[in-house]
Amino acid sequence: MTGYATRSIHNRCTDVNDLPFTGSTDFVGAGVGRGEPVLSVRNLTVEFKTDEGIVHAADDVSFDLHTNETLGIVGESGSGKSVTAMAILGLLPKTAEVHGQVMFDGANLVGAKERQLQPVRGNRIAMVFQDALAALNPVLRVGDQIAEAMSVHHDLTKRELNGRVIDLLDLVGIPQPGRRAEQYAHEFSGGMRQRTMIAMAIANDPDILIADEPTTALDVTIQAQVLDVFERIQLRTKTAIVMITHDLGVVAGIADEVLVMYAGRQVEHGTVDDIFYSPRHPYTRALLGSLPRLDRRHGNERLRRIKGQPPSLIFLPSGCAFHPRCEYADLAGVCTHERPALRDVGNGQLSACHFADTLDERAPNVP
Amino acid sequence: MSRLPPPADVLEAEPVVADEVALAPGTEPVPRTNWQLFRRRFLRHRLAVVSLVILVILFIACFGASWLAPYPRHPSAVDLLLGTSSGPSAKHWFGTDELGRDQLTQILYAGQTSLKIGLVVALLSTAAGTIVGALAGYHGRWIDQLLSRVTDLFLIVPSIAILAVALKKFGQTPNWILIVLAALGWMYVARVVRGQVLSIKEKEFVDAARASGASNRRIIVRHILPNCIGPIMVNMTLAIAAAIIAESTLSFLGFGVQPPDNSWGLMLSQAEGAAAEFNRFYEIFFPGLMILLTVLAVNFLGDGLRDAFDPQSVH
Repeated sequence: MTGYATRSIHNRCTDVNDLPFTGSTDFVGAGVGRGEPVLSVRNLTVEFKTDEGIVHAADDVSFDLHTNETLGIVGESGSGKSVTAMAILGLLPKTAEVHGQVMFDGANLVGAKERQLQPVRGNRIAMVFQDALAALNPVLRVGDQIAEAMSVHHDLTKRELNGRVIDLLDLVGIPQPGRRAEQYAHEFSGGMRQRTMIAMAIANDPDILIADEPTTALDVTIQAQVLDVFERIQLRTKTAIVMITHDLGVVAGIADEVLVMYAGRQVEHGTVDDIFYSPRHPYTRALLGSLPRLDRRHGNERLRRIKGQPPSLIFLPSGCAFHPRCEYADLAGVCTHERPALRDVGNGQLSACHFADTLDERAPNVP
Repeated sequence: MSRLPPPADVLEAEPVVADEVALAPGTEPVPRTNWQLFRRRFLRHRLAVVSLVILVILFIACFGASWLAPYPRHPSAVDLLLGTSSGPSAKHWFGTDELGRDQLTQILYAGQTSLKIGLVVALLSTAAGTIVGALAGYHGRWIDQLLSRVTDLFLIVPSIAILAVALKKFGQTPNWILIVLAALGWMYVARVVRGQVLSIKEKEFVDAARASGASNRRIIVRHILPNCIGPIMVNMTLAIAAAIIAESTLSFLGFGVQPPDNSWGLMLSQAEGAAAEFNRFYEIFFPGLMILLTVLAVNFLGDGLRDAFDPQSVH
């Protein structure tokens, strides 16, 4: 089966995308020296043309994804997390203009035809949606729906399908899988629905699992259980996971690497320890500062909020998009008129801040 | 198939944390087949059940007319010569027409044509309308423009006139009638299905299906149309009723089936003379009653089916 999907992608893509790999090959990212990445995104840009202007939903996003690793993408609403994920699978509406490269299995998925994408979607790269109730078909039995996800890509008999469906439901921790498979999504609890979504996503044993805010709609205990399901899956299948979330707690628990996005741009990228213990971008620092933590020394310390609102993606602030809200910004200087490049600040940690190296010495401009 | 190892090998089951508290005995989910659930929901709809029974009886009676009808379909010449109109009696439950033919017998035979036209026209036009509506709604853009304008075109032509001309040209046989009726009746279903598909294709489960690699055809057939089954069923039952009525209208106007074929509409038209005479009311009453009964029963049945098809209704 490896042959099937791989070959078809190769063969079909060579004629349309026979361009050489033009991405910045000198790209240094957190994650050098771990072999070939399974997915490599280069300069991914997504724009929507609207009557008011061009919406820059994702701007020059680049990252590598490695087998058996989890990449957390964090950011506020509208920071381009979901758009990036949708762009990888070519799921954006036709109104979106996507540029850049998404290299998977030797082919560029950006601009690929539906025919080329279909054998990849769900089979090699699968997605878990946020709202499981909405993402499950209300008139199909849960079991039939999981079976459907497999029969799209594989010729299996009804018996084989049924057996696998029950194994999958069991794997994601749904009790009485045989009976539950016969039920409909609305008869499931929120946690069970999300588990069902995960079962569907892993049904074809994908190389990459993209989870778009999979725990946002769940309460905390169920969240922990669902994250546990992701971890157990990775332990066994070595799937690479992209975990999109705005919840830093989720990222801290599950991710190996973290990509922080702001206004469609990558602002920081590093290992989970780097991001949490030595953030090199003011936005990351602000995010962490707004997070309630049990391990803070002084219990009476107040949570700090990030003043202001995320910017409009049509009228982005000049220079660094974060400068109007930044505590460290040089408002008279470079921050307002020069867009900072994403650069290595040591150990492969990337930061898009003009003052990434001197953040600790800079006095915050407190109003 | 090598990409699909049996999950039991790779992922040998490990005790998993259940987020559900163990269910109390007796409340655990009972496995039910699709059919059982469907039947259960349908049976809650009393009127629909009664309607189904009436329709089944009508169908059996009409299509078993050769065995069930009390008198021969074509009476002998002598009987016809001697026959005269008479009211309902123990001998002739629905009376006789002016040629002395037993009305009950005639109604049963005529019902074969009327019911066949109703059912087949509804099936054909629903199928055609569903295909057109689904394609227009799903693909949008120029496909939608094209199909919707064709639908509009069919809607604005005066159908009775087209029917009359077409039937005069092709011949007024039941088969041509049902083809022409279906050709002029699919637009209503197409519009309804298009609207449904337009709203359902925006649902997240359609995105999820695309994300799992399903093709457009698969998405339409497996994910979108099953969600439209309610409106489609209701429209199909309405189409049965509409076709029976349309056939009656055509026959009444003289463009429908011709003797020796018979239909309820034709019986009505032949009895038009009786309309003036109150004591021959039965010649209009009984064929009319049959049409009314069928149309009503079919509508109630449609209601019941719509509810029964919806897995989220009572179960």
